[in-house]
Amino acid sequence: MQELMESINWAIIAPFIMIQFILLIVAIIDLVKADETRGSKWMWVFIIVFINIVGPVLYFIFGRRRD
Amino acid sequence: MTLLTVKNLTKTYQDKTAVKNINFEFQYGKCIALIGPNGAGKTTILRTLAGLLKPNEGSVTFTNMKPNDDIRKYIGYLPQYPVFYSWMTGLEFLIYSGRLAFLPKMEAKTRAEELLKKVGIYDAKNQRIGKYSGGMKQRLGIAQAIIHKPKLLMLDEPVSSLDPIGRREVLTLMEELKHEMSILFSTHILSDADEISDELLLLHQGEIVEAGSMSELRQKYQTSTIKLQFKENLEGYQSKINALESISNSYMERDVLLVKATDIRLARQEILTTAAQQNWEMTSFTLDRASLEDMFMKVVKNECNG
Amino acid sequence: MTLFQKEMVENWRNKKWIWVPLVMIILAIMDPISNYYMPQIIEAVGGLPEGTVFELPDFAPAEVVMMSLAQFSTLGVLIIVLISMGTIAGERKSGISELILVKPVSYINYITAKWAALLILTLVSFFFGMLASWYYINILYGELSFENFLLIVLFYGLWLTFVVTLSIFYNAMIKTPGLVAFLTIFTIMVMRVITQVFHHLLNWSPNNLSNYIFEMLLTESIPSHLVGTASVTIMLSIILLIASIFIFKKKELAN
Repeated sequence: MQELMESINWAIIAPFIMIQFILLIVAIIDLVKADETRGSKWMWVFIIVFINIVGPVLYFIFGRRRD
Repeated sequence: MTLLTVKNLTKTYQDKTAVKNINFEFQYGKCIALIGPNGAGKTTILRTLAGLLKPNEGSVTFTNMKPNDDIRKYIGYLPQYPVFYSWMTGLEFLIYSGRLAFLPKMEAKTRAEELLKKVGIYDAKNQRIGKYSGGMKQRLGIAQAIIHKPKLLMLDEPVSSLDPIGRREVLTLMEELKHEMSILFSTHILSDADEISDELLLLHQGEIVEAGSMSELRQKYQTSTIKLQFKENLEGYQSKINALESISNSYMERDVLLVKATDIRLARQEILTTAAQQNWEMTSFTLDRASLEDMFMKVVKNECNG
Repeated sequence: MTLFQKEMVENWRNKKWIWVPLVMIILAIMDPISNYYMPQIIEAVGGLPEGTVFELPDFAPAEVVMMSLAQFSTLGVLIIVLISMGTIAGERKSGISELILVKPVSYINYITAKWAALLILTLVSFFFGMLASWYYINILYGELSFENFLLIVLFYGLWLTFVVTLSIFYNAMIKTPGLVAFLTIFTIMVMRVITQVFHHLLNWSPNNLSNYIFEMLLTESIPSHLVGTASVTIMLSIILLIASIFIFKKKELAN
């Protein structure tokens, strides 16, 4: 693991991690401001935070109430 | 002057006929109520007039309409359960509605502000519609329906889902709008129709079974009932009254004696003179005016028997 | 125009303009990055059993491009279908369309506004995704010319245009968003199968676009059947769009 960490060029990975982070933050902000979601808000918090990338996407597609 | 003519309008869903052979003329400036129980076809008629449904047969024509003209320009419509974009503010939605009806940008904005004041939700104009109450949504719904100054405003059950306060507010608003445009609205609550409409169209099982102004209908379906109340000994008085010439029959409803007569004027005279002569201890005498409910029941009954 | 502006504002406020591009970028760069680090990852996980000879191929830029496109063809298309499934169907289902369509709006505008707004979101997101992928390919795998990058975006963008239009077509027809999504994906899958079975007859099937793009990158020239396939895709999209408008006009909008 040590080796892996050292061999990685962080300048390359950093944007990738940043994007994931932005996605997570945007989803959380939207969730907090939403009046209503499909399913409980706490459930979505867990999904967004713990399922990498897919969590926020699931929230945006299925969690938001459209109309 | 005629605003709108509906001829032989028939609408069938699959194999079920929703409305059958509807004919009526709509005069300028009138307020007409479509009355009937749920499922009588009120919504179907309104949606067809609004162009949301296509009639199987018949036609809807506005007077002075150019051929190929879009009738949607002349009408404003509020569905029974209006749904809005909850992410828009009230003001944004009204401007959007106005723009859809080809109002120029500035005009749409001034008109939207004006209407928000008129319907009384100006304070909430910058709130998202998602936060509006039912009454506020209904008023926003009326505002969006009249933003383009339609000739005819159509409202589907405008007050039936509101609480008493909201209902009063909307009825007052409709009363005001009556002076500016023609209104066609549906309701199953007869007292609302009684209160604001000039004319009634009674609908039963997809057909117009009776039409006319309130007073015309009253006269036609006048029930000849007299309600009497006495201090005591109701049975004794009942037999005396039954003995009178003009009375056809009578029955008791708790402490009220309901008297049916063939000729209501003669009966009134007879009862009152006899009461005076014999010194009856009568506490109340009421000539029962036909209520809309009674009238409606009567019309529907006639329809079923005939 | 009013309808189109509303769509754009809506997609901004529901944050589609933020998350869709971000997700497309992630899809595009995931494979280029993870494949580059594959040797280290395998080692870190415990290495290969002794004696196994496992040679990781050195990928050519063109092959890496294909990895990104493969992601778009699966997950990318899935996301496009899911964000578009309710654009008309959802409005009809909820009843908002009753307020909108009693205004004197033309049905052509209604459909094309929806289509254009969705298409711009899709293509812009795809563009940024491929731009990020192109950037990583150039620093990790070797040169891919900007000209080639633009050609890839152009030709593959046509496939995504077709997907969006297909979704609009089902939207105009059906008012259940889930069913719209299902039918769109189902149609794409059936098309793929048919293209494979009758490959000698259906040379110009839209499903072949990415194969021909690969061929273009290898041969360094635009094959004629790529142009043919592109034309077919454009034509099919136009036909679908016109059909959507036609179907929508004939529909009873309150039902």
